[in-house]
Amino acid sequence: MITIHNLVKRRGTQEILSGISFKARPGRVTGFLGPNGAGKSSTLRILLGLDRATSGNALIDGKPFAELHNPLTTIGAALDGSGAHRMRTGRAHLRWMAHAAGLSRSRVEEVLDIVGLTNAAGKRVGKYSLGMGRRLGMAAALLGDPKILVLDEPINGLDPEGIRWIRTFLRERAASGNTVLLSSHLMGELAATVDDVVIIHHGKIVADGTLEEVIGNHSTLEEAFFALTSGLAGDVV
Amino acid sequence: MRAFNAELSKLFSLPGIWLAFLIGVFAPAVIAALDSMAQKEEIIAGVSTRLSEVGYIGLGLGVQGVIILGVLAVSSEYLAEGNETGGGQQITTSLTVVSSRIHFLLAKAGAVTVISILLSVVAIMTTVSATHLVLGEYTPAFEWPKLLGAVCYWAFTALLAFGITVLTKHGMIPLAVLIINTSFVSFSFLLSKVTKLALYLPDRAGFEMFMFLSNRFLTPFTGGLVMFAWVVVLFIAAAIVFHRRDVAS
Amino acid sequence: MSFPSSKKITRILGAELDKLVTLPSIWLTLTGTFILNLLLAAAFTSVGLQGAAGTQSILNIGLASMRYLQAGFIILGILATCSEYNGGQIRTTLTTIPWRGVQLSTKHLALEIITIPAAFIMAASGVLYTFTMMRDTAVVIEIGTMIKTLLGATGYLTCTTLLSAAIGALFRRTTPALVVLLGYYFVVSPLTRDFPPSIRKCFPDTAGYYMYMPPSTDEINFLTPMQGAGISMLWTLICITVAIVLFRKRDA
Repeated sequence: MITIHNLVKRRGTQEILSGISFKARPGRVTGFLGPNGAGKSSTLRILLGLDRATSGNALIDGKPFAELHNPLTTIGAALDGSGAHRMRTGRAHLRWMAHAAGLSRSRVEEVLDIVGLTNAAGKRVGKYSLGMGRRLGMAAALLGDPKILVLDEPINGLDPEGIRWIRTFLRERAASGNTVLLSSHLMGELAATVDDVVIIHHGKIVADGTLEEVIGNHSTLEEAFFALTSGLAGDVV
Repeated sequence: MRAFNAELSKLFSLPGIWLAFLIGVFAPAVIAALDSMAQKEEIIAGVSTRLSEVGYIGLGLGVQGVIILGVLAVSSEYLAEGNETGGGQQITTSLTVVSSRIHFLLAKAGAVTVISILLSVVAIMTTVSATHLVLGEYTPAFEWPKLLGAVCYWAFTALLAFGITVLTKHGMIPLAVLIINTSFVSFSFLLSKVTKLALYLPDRAGFEMFMFLSNRFLTPFTGGLVMFAWVVVLFIAAAIVFHRRDVAS
Repeated sequence: MSFPSSKKITRILGAELDKLVTLPSIWLTLTGTFILNLLLAAAFTSVGLQGAAGTQSILNIGLASMRYLQAGFIILGILATCSEYNGGQIRTTLTTIPWRGVQLSTKHLALEIITIPAAFIMAASGVLYTFTMMRDTAVVIEIGTMIKTLLGATGYLTCTTLLSAAIGALFRRTTPALVVLLGYYFVVSPLTRDFPPSIRKCFPDTAGYYMYMPPSTDEINFLTPMQGAGISMLWTLICITVAIVLFRKRDA
């Protein structure tokens, strides 16, 4: 389970996150929505120990990221891009990660098979298309078979087959008791995938609940989103 | 003309350019000052053998600024952004704005030449003042032909850096090779002790334009011509490769 | 923050080695430097052969290429750390290995493991070439001195590589790191040749010079090889420490 509690992040004079709190529970897919610049990436980066919060904490099963014994087997993250050096092959990228986490090489091949990159694994990452790069990122996230998955725009660049695969895959994972936190801009897809929704706007949480609760009286998630985020004072990003 | 202006504004908005300017303006002055300080007693006594090199040595060895300029002008086009922005490179945008690739290359080379000439003029001013500061009344006069040679040397070196970076796309190798070559441990000078042919290498030949070395090989004008020939050949090679290259490769 | 166990550190070291070994630019740099070394050895030897017979020192000539060689190792060091920032790999590294101090230190250690044999091979091949070419015309040297000098050369190149890696980790981009390091080693340092030796011997490269330059009778040696090694290593350690401290504090 992911617990974000009163997270505040200031960069210079700008306050990027103003005390956000929410939970991502096991057995459910939680969608993390917000306009550009709302603070989604900052939240995820703080959760994964990449950035430092000014105050508040982001805990994974009660512990901060840096205190996890084997992070890759607890929480798998696919952030922007492939996260791999462009000159390295996809397989080499996954192999060093497996080495660091104490996983076997056969696991690398398994994971490549799951995301459908077995044929392209011997090519340099720089030659990958956008979708292939995202698949590699997904493979890296799945390497340790973690209980928690954090995905930032996983659908970006995927072909229709990939989109359908991700949707079913994430639902299966949640159904088997894992936690999935996924951030995206594609409302239609999200509405078909998530159980809970958290909406962030200008560094504050404006909605937090199940999909039905957040949609409320609106017709679709998109309507609800616009109602919640453009109703507030402030510029439209 | 529009392409030329575009390239100029591109160059001026590069953050690394300020590093190039800083080094280009101050390095020659510092080098000249330190060298003059070392030679001060000899010059005052009138027994200096390197009197003709006073000051110019700063211009010869402080050329790192224009090297960075020439390299950055091209390598900034190929710097791939992170995958967040789709792994795009500036070169794709640049090539969709100009009518032909050669046009683009010429405009960019033109911008680099103009800026390096301006930079060398400023460097000459700082170097001359620094030398005056150290040597006072013993400063030898700075003659116009030699100063012109120094300006040409800077412009040609920048173009050499430019041409090499077009071929390698990544700035690391040209930067490393050229910075080492124009420093105190130059490859060309070493090779010139091994074979006479090395005296035709661009930087060695270019030096003749404004520095009287103990073993003069070419007249200043011939030296300049040799360096210019190198620049032209390199530019033609770079243009051919650039013209035929796929941007995605 | 929990400090990882020794088994984990071994795994992290293995991963960092994997990373270095699967990066093509590392091999390109090593190969390029090796070829450059041979070419320079040939050049210096032919210059030496033109000189008076019986006065040339094989070690001096064989190691004359060191000043150029260190450029290749500087590039190696910078590549090792700056490559993390390519393609967003630093995020992957930090989500797999969140213990930043350990990660950066093991990266330096992995770099050291690759550099030491490479540096030794290059230094030795240069000296060997000079030895075969000038065997008859040069001053005789003992094996013991040769081994000690080669070890000193290896040590110096390794320290330089680690220092460059630390600077690369500080700047995070290759161009400024390259300009600063090459500018120091090739422009600033020779300029300070006229500074008083008491100051000069504290610089990393001048101190390092005494690590491998064989003791000669006609010039005053200000530092023994061990002292030179100590100062070089101190500089390297300081740079690595600063790099680690900043790495732990900064956002990725």
